[in-house]
Amino acid sequence: MNAMLQPTIESTDAPLMVRGLAHSYEGGKVLTGVDLTLAPGTVLGLIGRNGAGKSTLIRAMLGLMQPLAGEARVFGEPALKLSDKVKERIAYVPQQPEALAWLSAEQMLDYVGRFYPRWDAAFAKAMLRKWDIAPNRLLAKLSPGERQRVDLIRALASQPELMVLDEPAAALDPVARRDLLREIALRAGDAGTTVLFSTHIVSDLERVASDIAFLHEGKLLLHCGVDETKERYARLWLPASMSAAAPAQVLSRHRHEDGSLSLVVERGAHGQWPEATGLPGARLDALGLEDLFVEIAG
Amino acid sequence: MDASIFAIQPTSAEPIYRQIVEQLRRLIAGGQLASGELLPSVRDVAGFHAINPMTVSRAYGIAETEGLLERLRGKGMAVAAMHRGTQSQAHRLALLEAQLADVARHAQELELPAELVLRRLSKIMGGS
Repeated sequence: MNAMLQPTIESTDAPLMVRGLAHSYEGGKVLTGVDLTLAPGTVLGLIGRNGAGKSTLIRAMLGLMQPLAGEARVFGEPALKLSDKVKERIAYVPQQPEALAWLSAEQMLDYVGRFYPRWDAAFAKAMLRKWDIAPNRLLAKLSPGERQRVDLIRALASQPELMVLDEPAAALDPVARRDLLREIALRAGDAGTTVLFSTHIVSDLERVASDIAFLHEGKLLLHCGVDETKERYARLWLPASMSAAAPAQVLSRHRHEDGSLSLVVERGAHGQWPEATGLPGARLDALGLEDLFVEIAG
Repeated sequence: MDASIFAIQPTSAEPIYRQIVEQLRRLIAGGQLASGELLPSVRDVAGFHAINPMTVSRAYGIAETEGLLERLRGKGMAVAAMHRGTQSQAHRLALLEAQLADVARHAQELELPAELVLRRLSKIMGGS
């Protein structure tokens, strides 16, 4: 974790870095001023509701589209002008892969394998079998889910330093999803692979992610360690009679029909909860990430 | 011992590293893990449960600092040899503290007297 001690070096050569990223489609704002840096070896789970701007953020981070404003860098290079050297080090799996549809799964993997110096052909072959993909069928004839599975195999077999997966869980059954998570976890541990994956399945993220980022209505609401997030935030419920004493600084606030309040509160600098947690009738509940996400984004 | 000794609940509000430390405390205090016994490697635990290896090393590190585990050169982590002394009754009781506090809070909310709750608890535990 030297990178954390040397923020200047880390931010210029970081696997992924964006600053002040903003974009909109047809008048609707999709991203507003997003800053995000991934240190090497991080497994970042990007979570957000459908339409929160996750795919747009990912595409802009990788230079696959030009944002209206802001800066994006990959391993220190401007994302819109990546050299082949950097491209070899990254693997990106979109939600709906479309490339090379006229090849069979096996042909495609043989073909793209030649471009990667560390291609693991044996792994690709074994995974095709494991994930039930007919090696000789044309990619165009595969279902969208199968298509994404082939693309995930491509990404893993290239042994990238940076892997970016857009909603990888959507295409996988629970067993295959567990296989993928295991691959992500072990590569992060063994090779220090940096991973960014977006998902709306929070439990996947909780297993392997070291960090979590909440994207909500185009803004990054939260970006911190998964363990730290669970320890730092909680839900405070206050009965209607105490609601006037609610702390002002909260992450979210919902008033229920009976006048009682649910608030997401944060520990202070010395680990203490806000004073209101000691009020008569107050209740403090630990929050899993999914609950936290629903409280903030719901 | 293999990686299946741990039961991981990723969706729990309790971070995974703390679940592992807590389970180590219990397994060691309860004698299911004996002194000198080798623990599954970080990689094995991470692979088996599909969790981040850093989480497992963090848990092992904390358990080592607490004196539950010791690092054997070239072999990995083992249950600390000197740990037998801490398996006292007081120590084992301390492991129940959080659950007992929960029961106490629920009992108060339900306005149940301690005496009644205690009687019920001894019955569940098979006592008189």
